[in-house]
Amino acid sequence: MSAERITRREMLKRLIVAPIGAAVLTTLEVRQASAATMQPYYDPYFVAVLWEGRTRCDSLWRSLKGDVVAILPTVQGTTPYDRLYWTGYALGSVPVNVNMRVLARAVDLSGAPLGSGWRPIGQAAIQTPPQRWFRVEIPEGHWDEYRIEVRSATPRLVYSRVIASQGYWKE
Amino acid sequence: MPVRFLRNASELADVSMESPLPVQVANAKPVPADTLLVATTTVTTTTNRDLMENTNTETPTLDNCGQYRKLVWFYFRAGNAATTCRILARTTDLSAQPLGAGWQELVTDTLPGGANSWGRIEIPSAGDGYYDQYRIEVYRTDGNNYTLTSKVIGVRG
Repeated sequence: MSAERITRREMLKRLIVAPIGAAVLTTLEVRQASAATMQPYYDPYFVAVLWEGRTRCDSLWRSLKGDVVAILPTVQGTTPYDRLYWTGYALGSVPVNVNMRVLARAVDLSGAPLGSGWRPIGQAAIQTPPQRWFRVEIPEGHWDEYRIEVRSATPRLVYSRVIASQGYWKE
Repeated sequence: MPVRFLRNASELADVSMESPLPVQVANAKPVPADTLLVATTTVTTTTNRDLMENTNTETPTLDNCGQYRKLVWFYFRAGNAATTCRILARTTDLSAQPLGAGWQELVTDTLPGGANSWGRIEIPSAGDGYYDQYRIEVYRTDGNNYTLTSKVIGVRG
C-alpha cells in the first residue's frame, strides 16, 4: 500500500466525496466495546429502545405518538420482548395527573391483526408532583403490537421513552 | 492510504484497535421468539379437536419445540360459547418418536373471554416447558360454532 501526503481538508473532502466501500469496511477493525456504548445493552438482557419523543396530552385518549386513531399501534415488532418499560417526564408547574392505558394485540404472518380491537392490559393514573419522573412497567410481554394511550384534563407535555427487554434471554 | 474517519465532529482519526470506527449495534443477538403457528379454527362440539382441526389424538399441534422455554398462545375469539381448552405435551426420543403413547396434560380449563375478545395463555403457566410436542385442543360446550384465530410463539431461553 503506497503512502500519500494530503492536507486534512483534502482528506475530509475525499471521505465525503468517495465514501469507503463496503468490501473494505468488512476488513476494518471494530471493537465491540465501542459499539456497546451506542445502544443500551446489559448482559444477559438485551434492551431495545422502541420509541422516544414527546406527547401533548389533552382530554382525548391519544397514543404516545399523538394520534387518536384507535387502530394504530404505538410500537410494533415487539414479539421478542418479555416486558416493556415506559419512562417519562412531565413538564408544568402543577402536580401531574395523567391517565394512561395500555392495549395489545397479535398479528398474523402478513402483519394483519388476528382480530378487531385490542386487548386491554392495564390502566392507571400517573400522579406526581410537578416536573418529576415516572416509570410504568408493562409485564405482559410478547404481544406483537402495543398501543399506549394517555390523556389529561389539564393539557400537559410529556417527554417519554418506551424500552423493551428480552427478559429471560441468556447466552 | 490509512483509513480515517471524522471523530467528535471536528477531529480526523486513523482507524485502529484503539480508535475503531463508530458502529451501532442492532439485532446483535438472535431473536429469541419464533412464530410457530397461525391458524383459524372453527370451534365445534367435537372433543379432541386441535387448533389445526385435527381429531387424531396422537398428532401434535406443534412439533420440534424442545428449544423453547415457553410457548405463548395468543387468540382472538369471535364467539362467546363456553369453550374448553386442553393443552397437552410430551417428549420425543432422538429419532423424534414420542417416548410413549398419550400425553401429559398441562391444562384443562375454560377458554377465557367472550365474543370478539383477545386472549393470552402462557404454556406452561408456571415453570419451564422444553417439551418436544404440544397438542392444543378446543371444543365448545354450549352455544354455536365460532371462529378462533390463534397465534403461538415459542420463546427460547
